[in-house]
Amino acid sequence: MIEATNLTRIFSNGHSEVRAVDKVHLEVNRGEFSMILGRSGSGKSTLLGMLAGLIRPTSGTVRIKGTDISSLSDDLISELRAREIGFVFQFSGLLPTITVIDNLMLPALFYPGKTDVRKRALGLLDRVGLSDRADAYPGTLSSGEMKRVAIARALSNSPSLLIADEPTGDLDVDTEFEIMELFRQLNGEGMTIVMVTHNPDLMRYATRIYGMEQGRLAEGFHSVHTGHGPMEPLH
Amino acid sequence: MGDPGAFTFSRLIRRNLANRLYRNIATIFVFALIAATFFSAQFLLNGAEQSLDKGMSRMGADILVLPEENAMAGQNILLTGQPTSFFFADSGFERISNIPGVAEASPEIFIATLFASCCAAPVQMIAIDPENDFTVSPWLAENAGVKLGQDDIIIGSNIIQNVGKDLMFYGHNFHVVGILDPTGMGVDNSVFTRIEDAYVMAAESDTKAVRKLTIPEGKVSAVLVRVEPGVSPSTVATRVEEEIPGTETILPDGLLSAVKGQMVAMTTLLYGSALAVTIIAIPLIGVVSAMVAHERRREVALLRALGATRRFVIRVMLAESFVLAIIGSLMGIGAAAGFLIIYQDYITYTLQVPLIIPSALTLLAGGAISLFLAFGIAGVSSLYPAYLIIHSEPFDIIRKGGV
Repeated sequence: MIEATNLTRIFSNGHSEVRAVDKVHLEVNRGEFSMILGRSGSGKSTLLGMLAGLIRPTSGTVRIKGTDISSLSDDLISELRAREIGFVFQFSGLLPTITVIDNLMLPALFYPGKTDVRKRALGLLDRVGLSDRADAYPGTLSSGEMKRVAIARALSNSPSLLIADEPTGDLDVDTEFEIMELFRQLNGEGMTIVMVTHNPDLMRYATRIYGMEQGRLAEGFHSVHTGHGPMEPLH
Repeated sequence: MGDPGAFTFSRLIRRNLANRLYRNIATIFVFALIAATFFSAQFLLNGAEQSLDKGMSRMGADILVLPEENAMAGQNILLTGQPTSFFFADSGFERISNIPGVAEASPEIFIATLFASCCAAPVQMIAIDPENDFTVSPWLAENAGVKLGQDDIIIGSNIIQNVGKDLMFYGHNFHVVGILDPTGMGVDNSVFTRIEDAYVMAAESDTKAVRKLTIPEGKVSAVLVRVEPGVSPSTVATRVEEEIPGTETILPDGLLSAVKGQMVAMTTLLYGSALAVTIIAIPLIGVVSAMVAHERRREVALLRALGATRRFVIRVMLAESFVLAIIGSLMGIGAAAGFLIIYQDYITYTLQVPLIIPSALTLLAGGAISLFLAFGIAGVSSLYPAYLIIHSEPFDIIRKGGV
């Protein structure tokens, strides 16, 4: 599904250079729930941005379904993103000026030819248990509800890959559980998920674990689902 | 066929604009100001030119011959109908008819009336000879059945009276038989009667009017001249001035130049204001747009993450800017047109220039130019926000703060 080779991103502020991601190799197979664990500043979100084509790598390549996205134009990467990738951010990422249902239908604007957009959006809202909040504005929702709407929106274009950047970072324990259970269900239905988090407690949901520190990635943890060995905290 | 109920581009634009209502109202106001000033400048210039064309066409003459010392007053009668009375020192009428190149000559007598029931101020009475007149006669020809008989008058469009009713000047009762179409020039504020009726009115004024009117026997105020086909009016005008000392000739082109000269200050002011507003507006709207773009960089980053291309985001910015430009321009053009039409008479009086409401085509063209200008400003002022969008790193922005 995704294959990153020798992926490097260097940020420069004129005086010094920061190697945010350093020669990363990563392979995510269809149906996997890959989780990248790391502290703040470890480079995991930059890696996620490059995987989605939102950040141009300094060197290396990213292939999504065999297509090298670093060779694509902005239009083609955007089209690929609209078609293949659903995003969930740490913050709700909902537009506050439009209703919940409009937020869900927004991605269809970038995926021309989609039909039954409203019907599908209402179905997804039902799926996340918020069908009665379709006409509400995001500001009137709880943080858990906003997150569920954001997940529903990420699924609105029927992507094959869900990318989540610290999706439970600002949630309480109960809501975190609720959201992670939703991810587990989606993964159970065949959705490929790549998620970054700094919270080792969430490792049990993943089928593949990576650790990231100072821009370097290593596969070193195993999910409880696989039953391979104990979970160890990152250092 | 679209997907019913789906979220559309236009809905996104509407929601975005509604969300920043007060700032958008300020931007709309700036666009309205730009469009209004440009539209006003064009309205006044075209209105004056079309008024002159119509007025000169109504006059029907190639040359107007006036006493040298009253040339300015005569010009004012033509342009604004500012009432005055004057006469040639001697009758040059017969001699003008005999000048080579003159095809027809028609005398007119200018009489400033006293206050009359029709009008808030004295009006200009123009006494003509229906036998060889070419100011009112063409109108009479177009309006079959109307004759300028004894004690009849034909009135300009600004004179308030109906056909069939009477108007009294110098104690003499006149019967209104026709109302001329508006021209925006002095004709609109004038009444036309026969020369012999003017003499009767003057003779009666001693006993009937509060002030006696004197019209020197055999004297005229102006002579309208038509030149022979193929003859240059300016050549004939020069001959008239040479052969009859004490005369000054006015040609339509000269009048147009004079009016344009009178309007230079006004048009310079209007176009200068419009230019100044534009020069200020571009960076102003640009800064406002940049502020909005800066505020919205997370929203933009989110759209990008959802699959929006840079082009789409720029299209959103431009569409919002153009919608504001359209709304502002239409409001500005509407307000300016309303003001200029309602206060047309006041403007004519204040600026001392002829003015008519320009033709619908001219108004549309003026509106289109103003709209086009506002579009240009909207486009130019969106360049910097577009640059910000193109050079933003969306993912980094989303991570640093919530949308």
